Amino acid sequence: MDYIKEKTPPIREERLGACMAFGGSCCDISNQSKKGCLFNNNRTFSQSQGCQLTLSLAILNTIRDSVIIVHSPIGCGANLVAQAGVSKGYQKLRDPNAFGLRWINTNLDEVDVINGGEEKLRSAILYADREYRPSAIIVMNSCVPALIGDDIDTLIEELQQQVAARIVPVHCEGFKTRIQATAYDAVYHGILRTLVGIEEEEADPVIIDELEELKKRYRISRTVNVLNVSSMSRSDEQGLVKLLQSLDLNVRILPCYAHPDDFEDSFEAALNVSICATHDDYFVEHMKSKYGVPFILRTIPIGIANTNKWLLDIARFFGMEEQAQKLIDSEVRELNQALAPYRQFLQGKTAFLGGGEIRIITTAELLHSLGMEVLGLRGFHFDRYGEGLLEELMAEIPESEKAIINIGTGQPFEQANLLSRYKPDVFVGHPGGNGWANKQGIPVFPLFGQAYDYMGYVGVYEVARRLTRTLKNTSYSQNLVKHVRLPYRQDWYAEDPFAYIKQDLAL
Amino acid sequence: MSKFVERPRYVCSLGGAVGTIKVLPRTVPILHAATGCGGNVATALNQAAGYMGSGYCAGQALPSTNTSEREIVFGGEERLSEQIANTIKLVDGDLYFVITGCMVDMIGDNIHNSIKQFNGGKARVIGAETGGFRGNYYKGYEIVLKTLFQDFVEKNPAKDKGLVNLWGVVPIQDVFWKGNLTLIKDLLVKLGYRVNTFFGEGETLEDLQNSAAAALNIVVSDTFGVEAAQVFEEVHSVPYITVPFPIGDHGSQRFLRAIGNALGIEKAFVEKVIKEEQARYYSYFERIADVYSDLDLQRYAVVVGDSNYTQALARFLADDLGWLPGLAVVTDFLDDEQKDTVRGQFNGYESGIEAEVVFDTDASNVGKYIARHWGQSRGQRYFEGFNPGFILGSAIDRDIAEKLGVPQLTVTYPISNRVVLDRGYAGYSGALRLTEDILSVLVGNR
Repeated sequence: MDYIKEKTPPIREERLGACMAFGGSCCDISNQSKKGCLFNNNRTFSQSQGCQLTLSLAILNTIRDSVIIVHSPIGCGANLVAQAGVSKGYQKLRDPNAFGLRWINTNLDEVDVINGGEEKLRSAILYADREYRPSAIIVMNSCVPALIGDDIDTLIEELQQQVAARIVPVHCEGFKTRIQATAYDAVYHGILRTLVGIEEEEADPVIIDELEELKKRYRISRTVNVLNVSSMSRSDEQGLVKLLQSLDLNVRILPCYAHPDDFEDSFEAALNVSICATHDDYFVEHMKSKYGVPFILRTIPIGIANTNKWLLDIARFFGMEEQAQKLIDSEVRELNQALAPYRQFLQGKTAFLGGGEIRIITTAELLHSLGMEVLGLRGFHFDRYGEGLLEELMAEIPESEKAIINIGTGQPFEQANLLSRYKPDVFVGHPGGNGWANKQGIPVFPLFGQAYDYMGYVGVYEVARRLTRTLKNTSYSQNLVKHVRLPYRQDWYAEDPFAYIKQDLAL
Repeated sequence: MSKFVERPRYVCSLGGAVGTIKVLPRTVPILHAATGCGGNVATALNQAAGYMGSGYCAGQALPSTNTSEREIVFGGEERLSEQIANTIKLVDGDLYFVITGCMVDMIGDNIHNSIKQFNGGKARVIGAETGGFRGNYYKGYEIVLKTLFQDFVEKNPAKDKGLVNLWGVVPIQDVFWKGNLTLIKDLLVKLGYRVNTFFGEGETLEDLQNSAAAALNIVVSDTFGVEAAQVFEEVHSVPYITVPFPIGDHGSQRFLRAIGNALGIEKAFVEKVIKEEQARYYSYFERIADVYSDLDLQRYAVVVGDSNYTQALARFLADDLGWLPGLAVVTDFLDDEQKDTVRGQFNGYESGIEAEVVFDTDASNVGKYIARHWGQSRGQRYFEGFNPGFILGSAIDRDIAEKLGVPQLTVTYPISNRVVLDRGYAGYSGALRLTEDILSVLVGNR
């Protein structure tokens, strides 16, 4: 993969043929996805979703010692407004000196739409550098400047000579794609182009100390980059680090909550380990083609089976399978003992899941391993990475072929129809759409959370424990369903839940 | 010419339009905007607004064309017509309100071509261009009101002398809007009027539709809703007055007298209402006398936020609570004329306190104004300073409060560190809530 020379990354509809509208069984989607005929599907009624810019912030607003400039009219990046003043806690778990959110909006108005917004961006960059003296200034380009033709790259090149901070352009214009996860490519594209790699003069010292060089090479040969996601908790992160340390590996955590400098020598690693392909494929592919760093991208360590796979894949790379297997055996033995009472409680309970493809498929496996029945899945989008995981799920749990799968970012009207049809005991959903399930009287277990554990062996126990708690008292949702109604007309619930999906088979 | 904003306290006009429509009874917003606009503003209209929730049909449920590159190139009117038709089919509402984002406005899609197709149908469909480059949240509020006044409120030459309309308390951007509307309505009811608040408790769309019968539009703001009230006057011949948002005894007295004056209510009756309110108010307010004096709870204070709140908070702190609110930072987009009007609202304090009023949109500057106003400690032995201080502002101002080591209460947008349900700060009762909240911060952290 080599898009890094381009100013902007390709969109995922094109790069991965990602699909954002589908309804059918797991078996159906698997077959159609293989034929590559899903990416053009659409809706004749749609509800709001986020854009690349919104989701880019999920990573960017965690980067330490940096300032974000949203180059747009005043509303873009509005999720920062919601996080201001309350997000410092998570930052402090990684950096006791965290500042809280620092961002600037260039406030493009009616005049700028006609005359261009470059001057406002220039003044914002100079202000950010002067006011905060940050390590990095992250410039996010939005729809309006893209349409009016602001050349932010040339401006940044010019200003880079004048400011101390490194300026990172991120091209994340919302209208370009409906696959929100293109955001991750936009962010990594900016990081790869500006933060990764050491300046020539630093890279080649005049005198080479051979012993130091050997030590360094050994250190690199035992170093893995674990690519975290901002939706995971600090303790999940620490749990995964501990597992890898028990294989005598050094772990470098990127990109969330990293310092801009941490990316500089990130290519000095034996292996890139992703915990979510939706997040990382663009980065690890480029790190491979540009720096020769191999990667593992298969699955996320959620549930026993996938944690085992994740760990064994890494161990295999370092020739430590046997050691890893021993670790797995002892971890799983201890975990299974701890899970016994929860399995008894959760046995036969039904669940419906919604969220990112990687998380929902692996969490489905986790719930199944606790004795629960998974009635259906709703994925934000679907691409080859979901396809691979779904194959594995259907191979391991044959009855999952029949489970219903609905692809759509948000689209709670389809969710409402499906939930009223399938009436699961619990909805395991992506934050943002969970309240709707609650109002239908269905208790909710969030698919992820920054304050809770979900990953590794501890994560399995924690999910089982919290899920049991969720189901011990469902009064809140029971109260809501009696007194609140969703906005859809009653006859919608009798209609085909996928009635508004247009499958474009012509292409 | 406008400039960049460092940590803005508002979203765009599209967000303001969504927020305003979102809380109008049985009204369904339909977004014709780029993929992401709806999702982008959703958190700001929920988590940043005291966790007010998705509402009836907003948040992720907000119908949206999710316009992408194809429509930007080839035009999106056809897609909009399809979206409107299917929204009416799927979503139960009495009024469907089409609003637009920047990209759609810039490529020149004409939403009215699509809207026209639904004329005469069972569902009412109206629309307005609200692309975010037009301004901030307040602009969206203003555009939505104007559109409602022009296209939805029914003409009615007959006026009802006992009915007034209430505007200027901006839903969601004033996170306590619903409580505030109830509280202000209560005051007007005591003056003997029936009141449409449109966004408050127990309101219906019919109230809005029939609002041209009102004798007066009362805009509880010198900045928000004024343009819309002018439109209302032009279209429906209902005059309007603007009156500052009231918090506490001194603010509410001025409010009640101004309304009494405008409506020609007998002075003695207005004074009687004020006396009754005061009697109840001070029967609670006196309770804190012990703790106030025992712990010396008088503070220097800074108020940060919009032009409605800052003047009301400063007057309450100075004249009711006896504090020293030396500095007010007004964070709105205002022209010079508006600034003069707003500045005027900080005058005439009974206490004789004068607040320095600054207009600045950038959050980092709050700390600089505090340092300028009270001086900055350089380790000298004898130093005046902002101590004991208190900041009344938004969640954004928690950073500067923490840096200065002074307590802070979040009362202006964004409010992400509190959950707000029916609480309001307006009038007499609201000021008691505010007193509880402010003093709770102080007594809780000893």
